[in-house]
Amino acid sequence: MPIIVNLDVMMAKRKISSMELAERIGITSANLSILKTGKAKAVRFSTLEKICEELDCQPGDILEFRKE
Amino acid sequence: MWNKNKSLYLSRILTDVCAGLALIFALFVPEGAKWYNYISEPIGILADHNVALPLIIVIYFCEVMAFVVLWSLHKLLGNISKEKVFIPENTSCLRAISWACMLAGFSMIVLALWRAIFIFAAFLLVFFGLVMRVLKNVFENAVEIKSENDFTI
Repeated sequence: MPIIVNLDVMMAKRKISSMELAERIGITSANLSILKTGKAKAVRFSTLEKICEELDCQPGDILEFRKE
Repeated sequence: MWNKNKSLYLSRILTDVCAGLALIFALFVPEGAKWYNYISEPIGILADHNVALPLIIVIYFCEVMAFVVLWSLHKLLGNISKEKVFIPENTSCLRAISWACMLAGFSMIVLALWRAIFIFAAFLLVFFGLVMRVLKNVFENAVEIKSENDFTI
């Protein structure tokens, strides 16, 4: 998929673990792992909003479009 | 109280009973074919030929197709009882059922050369195969929608 999820990069910058982020945004670590590994097919605005709020970033910092 | 688990259990029992009946039926096919050749009205392109042998071959072929259908139903019901409904394996089962019905229907068309009455059975089987094919297409889409839903975070 040409949409790349850079969540792990952002998490490393903010020095936050998967478990902690999952807990803070209210999703399971399994779902966060799906998101991190790029297996997710869609992201809800509400989830994106919580991630941006917790990581103090913009949606563009997490999602990237790369032409195939 | 009647519930979905009991209904599922009944479906599984009926599938097993059908498999047993199909097995018993297979034992009497040669005698049945000879008897049918004796009593049936010869209408068809090859009506003056003996229908017993082609009938035996087609019925045994249909038996194999019936076991394919029953095995697919067994797998399908097993998956449903494990709460795995919209999975690609179930789509494959429906595809197998559809193809088995279609192939049985086409074999009946061949048999209709000897006895034209089998054209009705052929029509019913092909029609049922078509219905199952449409159902398979619906299921295929449902599996995709479920997967999309499961992977929406």
